[in-house]
Amino acid sequence: MITVIAIDALEYNLVEEFNMRNLKQEYYGKTDISEFSEPRTMVLWSSFMTGENKEEEILAKGDKEMWNTRIPHEETFFSHFENPFILDLPGYNYDLEQHERERRLLKEFFMEKDEEKKREIRKKYNENAFAHHRKIKERFLEALEGEYDFILGYFSVADVIGHLNFGNRMMMKMIYRDLDEIVSQVEGKKIVLSDHGMKAVGVFGDHSEYGFWSTNFKELGRPKITDFKSIILSETK
Amino acid sequence: MSEEKKGKAKKKKSKHTTISIPTPLYKKIKKRIEGTGFTSVSDYVTYVLREVLASLEEEEKEEVFSEEEEEKVKERLRALGYLD
Repeated sequence: MITVIAIDALEYNLVEEFNMRNLKQEYYGKTDISEFSEPRTMVLWSSFMTGENKEEEILAKGDKEMWNTRIPHEETFFSHFENPFILDLPGYNYDLEQHERERRLLKEFFMEKDEEKKREIRKKYNENAFAHHRKIKERFLEALEGEYDFILGYFSVADVIGHLNFGNRMMMKMIYRDLDEIVSQVEGKKIVLSDHGMKAVGVFGDHSEYGFWSTNFKELGRPKITDFKSIILSETK
Repeated sequence: MSEEKKGKAKKKKSKHTTISIPTPLYKKIKKRIEGTGFTSVSDYVTYVLREVLASLEEEEKEEVFSEEEEEKVKERLRALGYLD
């Protein structure tokens, strides 16, 4: 049994700076995503679950349709398990409405010129992201008690909040602390994996050109995101 | 106790409220405050929360949305497919 804690935009340098021991586990490092032209969330998670670079295929859908990607179960490595539990993963089963709401508020924020109104929109945007996170956290912790042979929980909070608040160290630290605590509650073999990290642009956050990985069972060097299919399957044989 | 004293006690009570924290955290704090000026876990928690809130408020006060950075991040978010 193996559990993957998939964290969008978990940044290597912040995990180090905040010294999040559970996120780091025994072995940790950066992933190599240099084969991709941009660190796009949908492309990276789709490539992770299939073990193949899906960039061309996903980009061919266009910017809007890309977010509606649903990779069939049998094309993912999850199909190798009898009873997997996959929670809210982009490109597989994530909450489309939630994501659309986030993008709508992000657009509203950047279109608004008035500083006070901008802060109001950001507040709404943050509240929406945190409410979703609380729901996902609860469902993930419940799943840990279930009879599954593979569990993957996807957490978007560091990415969503980071885009408009990455310069707010205190807020980011609170988020990382919460994620660290979630990882601490997982027993057995576990992998923490991000698609990409995040770098500051003033108060905002942009995707960085590498991801984060950690395990409590194996040193992985600098793996590609597509390597995790074989890593996970070989560990669960 | 006279009615006046009861009233005062009630008024004093309403200045505080009860919050829950995990028991292991409570024990950790209790150990930490030994030999410090803090006489109770409540005092320590209040102090820490005031510090955290002050830092957050300070960060928010100092925060400015620079037009240049906003343009830069907007362009990046477009490239990543978040904005059309």
